[in-house]
Amino acid sequence: MAGIWIYSEDTIIAQQLITLGRDLAGQLQEKVCVLTIYEQEVQSLIAAGADKVIVLKGDNVWPESYAQAIAAQTTECQPTLLLVGGTLRGKDLAAKVAARLQTGLITDAQSVKVVGGLLETERMIYGGLAVCTEVLNGMNVITIPARAYEVPVADVGRSGEVVTIEVKTEDVMAVGNVCPIVRQGVDITSAEKLVCVGRGIGKQEDMKLAEDLANAMGAEICCTRSVAEDYHWLPNEAYVGISGQKVKPVIYLSMGVSGQVQHVAGIRDSKLIVAIDTNENAPIFAAADYGIVGDLYQIVPLLTEAIKNK
Amino acid sequence: MATIIACYKWVLDEQDIKINPGSLDLDTSRAKSKISDYDRNAIEEAVLQEEKTGAEVASLTFGNSKAKQSLKDALSRGPAKAYWVNDELADKADALVTANVLAAALKKIGQYDVILCGEGASDTYAQQVGPRIATLLGIPAITFVSEMKIESDKVIATRKIGDCTEEVSVSFPVVVTLLPEINKPRIPSLKQVLGAAKKPTTEWSIADLGLTTEEVTAKNKVKSIKGFVMSRKNVIYKEGTPTDKVASLVASLTKEGVL
Repeated sequence: MAGIWIYSEDTIIAQQLITLGRDLAGQLQEKVCVLTIYEQEVQSLIAAGADKVIVLKGDNVWPESYAQAIAAQTTECQPTLLLVGGTLRGKDLAAKVAARLQTGLITDAQSVKVVGGLLETERMIYGGLAVCTEVLNGMNVITIPARAYEVPVADVGRSGEVVTIEVKTEDVMAVGNVCPIVRQGVDITSAEKLVCVGRGIGKQEDMKLAEDLANAMGAEICCTRSVAEDYHWLPNEAYVGISGQKVKPVIYLSMGVSGQVQHVAGIRDSKLIVAIDTNENAPIFAAADYGIVGDLYQIVPLLTEAIKNK
Repeated sequence: MATIIACYKWVLDEQDIKINPGSLDLDTSRAKSKISDYDRNAIEEAVLQEEKTGAEVASLTFGNSKAKQSLKDALSRGPAKAYWVNDELADKADALVTANVLAAALKKIGQYDVILCGEGASDTYAQQVGPRIATLLGIPAITFVSEMKIESDKVIATRKIGDCTEEVSVSFPVVVTLLPEINKPRIPSLKQVLGAAKKPTTEWSIADLGLTTEEVTAKNKVKSIKGFVMSRKNVIYKEGTPTDKVASLVASLTKEGVL
């Protein structure tokens, strides 16, 4: 039946992907079909715009164990495309599905478009240095990051087809001891204002400079990879970059951040980027809206005072 | 004794890639190559496990003829031997092809208990070769691992997946993909670098692996690769006293309405 297929173990992301799915389905004159492992979400998915929902019913609560079942459904029904929510669980599953189908998998597509009847995707490569545009050949799997699209407004009057399929899950792995990661402070991915600390800060005590500025601004604190991974001054969840968090604050202000391409890839959706660093040639300045070339140990306390006195 | 195989990709160092300002084409002419950053964690973890459990460690890569220089680099980091699938097709390979080739090479090697991969390559960061290999070999994959240990014929690992961690245990053979936080790769000593030249290497071409043309042909067509240019205001205050510069910045930020 062709169609644009969507799967995420996170129903909110599945709904976000329906926004993209409906757009593509409209252009290609196809239907949107959502696969879910949660029977209770059927109505919300239809209300969000699914024409059809396939409920995969298995005994395993571990989402990754449904890869084989999703691959089998995909082989049987031959959709045009399978969009998968780009969580880490989603990426794991997408790769296993793509391997079974011997098809392409576009990871973290920034855009999916119909150009001359063919699907085209864009994604970052070389740590964010470049954008690779690909023309898809046949059925592909694409993962889309969370929050890339809005959740559609629910239309509770919509109706859709519902199919429930009993599936066999892969039960090779013993999964236990699932612990939520307790974040210190707020989730930086949803912070409105961020102060970012880089290696220009020489010792842990000097983190106070950043804290004072963050307090004056009403901002949260994030950091570069080495500050978290090498120095452990902040938890790993606080580092920004291509392998860390991607942030989109109204203002991102960095101190002592050189601006390696992998870091800049994580801040590019910020509305305003401000940088303070001693090195005039630091790449962060090319990525910044405003900046001060200077010693952060002089500049930051002055800036904190100036903001406090406003 | 477990056999561990650490997979790695020989990639261009993105730090050396320049963007042509007019065309936005990439200039890779001066770019050196390196073992993909995250794959160094895979090699390091294999060696750490060897130190703890006495496992036997080998490295495996798929690359063109230039990847020859990677063998010594990989071996200086600790593995006892290196496998290399040397083929110019690597230049055009996507993750589908890479996984097919590596899985076929692993079958040819024949003996593997734990296959370690970085969570993604530092050039494409497609984060899929590890779980693809597992699927092709019909074995489980433990992805995004922040801690692991080997106990007799099992891997016990902590996965870190977004908002939670989970502990999983799986019997051999298994593919494990590692988060960079799992370890800190050591810099090889001079002795290790010199010793690397004496370690055995095995070289195959794709033809040795019995793959079909379809299995080694990239699925999609790359239409373009263009440098990403961020359009920003680039108002940088360089001159004047620190107080002047701060005053200018505060004035600008006030005007933007972000303070």
